[in-house]
Amino acid sequence: MQLRLSLAAATLISSLALNAEDYVRVQYLQYDETLNKTSVSAPSIMINKDFGTDYTLNANLVFDSVSGASETYYDGASGASAFSRGIGVKAKDIKYANVTYSDQRSAGGVSLTTRFSNRDELVLGTNYSAEHDFYSNDISAEYMHWLDSSKNSSLSLGLSYQVNEVLVRCEENSACDGESGASEEMSADVFNLQASYFQNIDSRSYAKISLFYIKDSGYLSNPYLNVVRNYVANANADVVAELRPDSRSAYGAMLKYVNALSGSLSLHLSYRYYQDDWEIDSHTLDSDMFYEFRNDWIFKVGLRYYTQSEANFYSGEKDYFSDEVYASSDFRLSNFDAITYKSNIDYTISQKLSINIGANYYEQSRGVAATYFTTGFRYNF
Amino acid sequence: MKIQVLTLFTLSILFSACIKDVKPWEKETLAKRTMKENGMNPLEKKFQEHIYFSKEASRGGSGISGGGCGCN
Repeated sequence: MQLRLSLAAATLISSLALNAEDYVRVQYLQYDETLNKTSVSAPSIMINKDFGTDYTLNANLVFDSVSGASETYYDGASGASAFSRGIGVKAKDIKYANVTYSDQRSAGGVSLTTRFSNRDELVLGTNYSAEHDFYSNDISAEYMHWLDSSKNSSLSLGLSYQVNEVLVRCEENSACDGESGASEEMSADVFNLQASYFQNIDSRSYAKISLFYIKDSGYLSNPYLNVVRNYVANANADVVAELRPDSRSAYGAMLKYVNALSGSLSLHLSYRYYQDDWEIDSHTLDSDMFYEFRNDWIFKVGLRYYTQSEANFYSGEKDYFSDEVYASSDFRLSNFDAITYKSNIDYTISQKLSINIGANYYEQSRGVAATYFTTGFRYNF
Repeated sequence: MKIQVLTLFTLSILFSACIKDVKPWEKETLAKRTMKENGMNPLEKKFQEHIYFSKEASRGGSGISGGGCGCN
């Protein structure tokens, strides 16, 4: 009896040691759109540390350096600013072109996972993000409850609250001189709620379904994008800031299915449905396939298809808007499809060290295309 | 609506009929790193989510945490 208990204890300790997730991960992203629209260089680091079997601390940092151009209408004759606006602008002076910009972003997050005696989990987290004209902070909590003693099914409930601050060039506020470059602070909050059900189907596959609700409130416009109103050909028009509703309610569902097709091949499939009260709905189909070779190589290929409908206040035309309250010509609110081709190779050099490299291609039906490469390593300590 | 509820109910029955009680010692395959829900590399996953968030109008379903961005 004592021997059996000792063996059980030894097995438990060795399995816990094997499952310890103490690592540092460093990753670098290089993202480049065609026609030199946007380039992003982003080094990042993540540290994960288990404290016994009941606590896990995870922290990550990323630094983005972004340069590129935004497509928008502007008053080409003004010369005051690349994003120039004006009332009664000559129609022939209204341009639609890429306006260059550059920015840097630093972002980070910390989360603490606590496991209780019944192995239920509570994850508490916080994130921040800072750019020269945008700041964001959020807090989140997620509780996962096992529904059976074999731990084959669970329910999770998570919520987060995010506070965003956006610096917007003054235009309406007379106490604030926008021509001198002054700006005023606007805010936007995001509340996110998600409930998930997880189920092991058999010893080789599992599924998860998630329902989510997202509520945005506050300043939701893009401060750099313009629209044209009251356009009269060969006469005048107004080039003004776009205006979006100050709230947005979205909900949807995500279904994920993972199956080990063989000892070395596994397939990840997911489908997401999204709908919001801006009348945007979207469908996303995603797939990844992993192939393990000789225990030290893992090859991944993936394909993602995305399609969305346009917002009810979107138009890309300069002669569309007149006195509508809400108006935007941001192409991201338009009707389009997108496809992503993904590939990645992971090579395990030793028990402590593995390296990876990935190449991906993203293309939208309206012309935006990008390649992005990732490379990095994971060090177990 | 009735058809949607009936379809969901039928799918639930079929799904539950496929489910087996997997014992802890049968979970070796499920525990492999290639079987992790968010893939093998959480930082790469974050990059991808960030790109989609900045180029598309919808989000959600991948978790509740993530941080904001002035890119949209």
